[in-house]
Amino acid sequence: MNALRLALLLAIGACGDGREPGVVLWHAYTGLERTALEQSAEHWNHAHPATPLVLVAVPYESFADKLTSAIPRGNGPDLFIYPHDRIGDWADAGTIEPLEFWVDDAHADRFSEQALAGMAYRGSLYGLPLAVKSLALYVRTDLVKTPPTTTDELFALAPAMQAKRGFALAYANVDLYGHAAWLHGFGGRVMDDQGTLTIATPEAADAMKFARKLVADGVAPADAGTPLVASLFNEGKAATAMSGPWFVAEIGKDVPWQVVTLPIVSPTGKPAAPFLGVEGILMSARAHDKQTAFAVIDELTSDAAATIRARVARQVVANTHAYDDPQIASDPILRPFRAQLDHTVAMPNFPAMRMVWTPYQTALGEVLSGRADPGTQLLAVEREVNGYLVGAK
Amino acid sequence: MIGRQLRDFAVVAVLALIIATAAFVAVRNNELAARQIALAERAAAALRDHAELPPTVNAVIVSAATPSPRHPFLRKRQVLVGDRWQPLQDKLLYDAAMRFDREGAVSELLGDASGRALVARCTVDTRPCPRIAVALTSPARPAPYPFLVIIGVLGLGTALAAAGALLGPVARRGGLFAGAGALAVPALLWHAPVAATVILLLGAGVALAQQAALTDRIAAAMIKSRVALSFLTPAATAMFVLVAAPFAIGILLGFHDHHHGTWTFVGLSNFSEILSGGGHSLDDPLNFWFILGVTVLWTVANIVLHVTIGVALALALSRKWLVGRGVFRMLLILPWAIPNYITALIWHGMFEGEYGAINSLLRLFGLSDVSWFSSWATAFSADVIANTWLGFPFMMVVALGALETISPSLYEAASVDGANAWQRFRHITLPHLRPALGPAVALGSIWTFNMFNIIYLVSRGKPGNATNILVTDAYRWAFERGERYGMAAAYATIIFLILLVWTVFGTRMVRREEA
Repeated sequence: MNALRLALLLAIGACGDGREPGVVLWHAYTGLERTALEQSAEHWNHAHPATPLVLVAVPYESFADKLTSAIPRGNGPDLFIYPHDRIGDWADAGTIEPLEFWVDDAHADRFSEQALAGMAYRGSLYGLPLAVKSLALYVRTDLVKTPPTTTDELFALAPAMQAKRGFALAYANVDLYGHAAWLHGFGGRVMDDQGTLTIATPEAADAMKFARKLVADGVAPADAGTPLVASLFNEGKAATAMSGPWFVAEIGKDVPWQVVTLPIVSPTGKPAAPFLGVEGILMSARAHDKQTAFAVIDELTSDAAATIRARVARQVVANTHAYDDPQIASDPILRPFRAQLDHTVAMPNFPAMRMVWTPYQTALGEVLSGRADPGTQLLAVEREVNGYLVGAK
Repeated sequence: MIGRQLRDFAVVAVLALIIATAAFVAVRNNELAARQIALAERAAAALRDHAELPPTVNAVIVSAATPSPRHPFLRKRQVLVGDRWQPLQDKLLYDAAMRFDREGAVSELLGDASGRALVARCTVDTRPCPRIAVALTSPARPAPYPFLVIIGVLGLGTALAAAGALLGPVARRGGLFAGAGALAVPALLWHAPVAATVILLLGAGVALAQQAALTDRIAAAMIKSRVALSFLTPAATAMFVLVAAPFAIGILLGFHDHHHGTWTFVGLSNFSEILSGGGHSLDDPLNFWFILGVTVLWTVANIVLHVTIGVALALALSRKWLVGRGVFRMLLILPWAIPNYITALIWHGMFEGEYGAINSLLRLFGLSDVSWFSSWATAFSADVIANTWLGFPFMMVVALGALETISPSLYEAASVDGANAWQRFRHITLPHLRPALGPAVALGSIWTFNMFNIIYLVSRGKPGNATNILVTDAYRWAFERGERYGMAAAYATIIFLILLVWTVFGTRMVRREEA
């Protein structure tokens, strides 16, 4: 029925005339996340039969390209759910609608500050957050009695693990996403709030030196990719692993584990703070009934809808009020990730960020293998990315 | 005579109508935008000067933004009504003021096809601006398509062309040109001189073609071969849509720069940036010439190994006494049958430092671990090994086929004459293999030159980008360096030119050698 209605909407939309009232939302949710979203949509449709919400599942792989080409031509959805890292591109290109006009403090207070910050770009707010993803620390409870709360305690786990050719910690260390926890823990950043690169700083160099020490002292394996992290953890060759909520599906059935927040970086006394990915609802700049579309966003990010998503799909929701629900507050996965949320840094959503990943990864590879010095490598990264930025203007 | 004249004029008319219509749409849209924006700008200026506002414009003075103390990106603005500030209720005006703060003066036609223009200007000289004048015009529609004018000039043109044909051969061409001239008149009226000139040139071209009897010959040939043409059309259309058009677009993109969905013509600057090394020294892995050097080395190393191993295995498999030849053949072709990105991922895992199969094997023999991707030589070797695994079966199959065609009597005769095994290989086998291996090497070198999967998935450019080849660097320009599709397209064009030169001269060299 929805498909039929959509076909009808598209057909009418293609004629360029007015179309059926209602709001079309694209999402890439599957499984339980989709079920939870559909429940909230049903709730809306029941209360607003005149302006129904039509959900359209679009495969994630083609999602961004479809939006980028459809919206400027007046096609595409009114709303869509997407991670925040593209906001900069879309805002600069005028593809998405700024929302702060409708949002007041009462709206904003529902959400984790870090998650909401991820939706902001150049002084405007471009979406309201649904869910968050960050790394946290998975601990094998059979190998570690009390989870490490500082990096010194993490180092202390190493000798026992080395004795059986294992490691105290496994994480994707030649990847900025994995390394960012240390970078922020040492007080470094990739870029500031204005989007100016802050890559080559003493703090960032210290974080790289720390990551190198983890490898050199045998605390963490050199050049670990995501598959290796999972197999080390499952085989008992890694006492702890730094990974995100998706890691739960990769842990073996007979492995006893728990998730805790990342340790405090002992040299600075600050908590390790991973990157935060924020999935939010954004509005197309060509949405047909923007007022109603915002009402839908408001409804889908409400306390009630967030509670449904956290309960049904065990989603780490950005609406912090949902964690007042006792079932959600005691969930062994949601609780630690919610706690980690307070110590995260929203991934920069400036377009320049996408140019940073590969050069930074190259630099990490060079430094962790002991071939190069962090300071010069970070300078080279900043120079390379700046070179691309000059060309992109 | 008149029938043929009308036929030629119809061709001119159809093309001229397409050009004129495109010109009309562009001109009227620009005109509407200019008119509406000028109106909005006048309103904003009137607001600043306390003058009377144009009647159809909604123009207001908007205050500076006051951020919420808790959330800096939640800002409220007010609007001046009389002498009093009131909360701003119109989101369009609010967003225009936000954009003014971010980008400075705004003047644009809204993208929603309503024909409304939006202008934002500061009314005072202080920054940040405390009083932003925002003006929004009422909707407006662009001028309708002038069907009557078009029908009129079509009729006039047809009449002129027909009249010319009736008067005689010279007048016939004059009539055709005059008819085209009639079609160019509307474009002139719409201030589209380029379109008018193109239409006139088109008319002159067809008139000249008529003089050389070219139009008659083309028409006759088309009628004569209409069956063949009808068969060709589907395939030709597919080739045009799938091959020719993307190729042409790809080359054109190389002359443009892409930024947030807008393309700007930049001439040859992409090419000069690439060929000058982009400010990187020659030993920097980001310099084009460094990457080209790696690519050539990569291609040569691979082809040498593919051919040597392929031919050696083919010689072994062609021995009649070998038991289980069929099984061996099948096993040796297997690497070719597996999708190459899967092979690449498997090799990447096998070269992994700590737990990879290769290092485990080395340890078994008492050798120390090799950190494969930490030095250029080992990372490059890892790539070459993985690609050799993928590439030798093709050469083997080609060589096997060629070996089958060599008559055994040649070897018998050579043996009778006392030739040893090496001499038989050198003077019988090798010359017979060459015609088959020549094209295979040409093809193999092109594949290897552009072997994206192995480089991208095995060494992944490590260490420090040094094992990238041209095609992986082109990919990074498109997808990892701010979507600079223009640079990627320029790269692709350069790769194409290199391979074109190689194919033309390479095959010529092979042929000369054969001769």
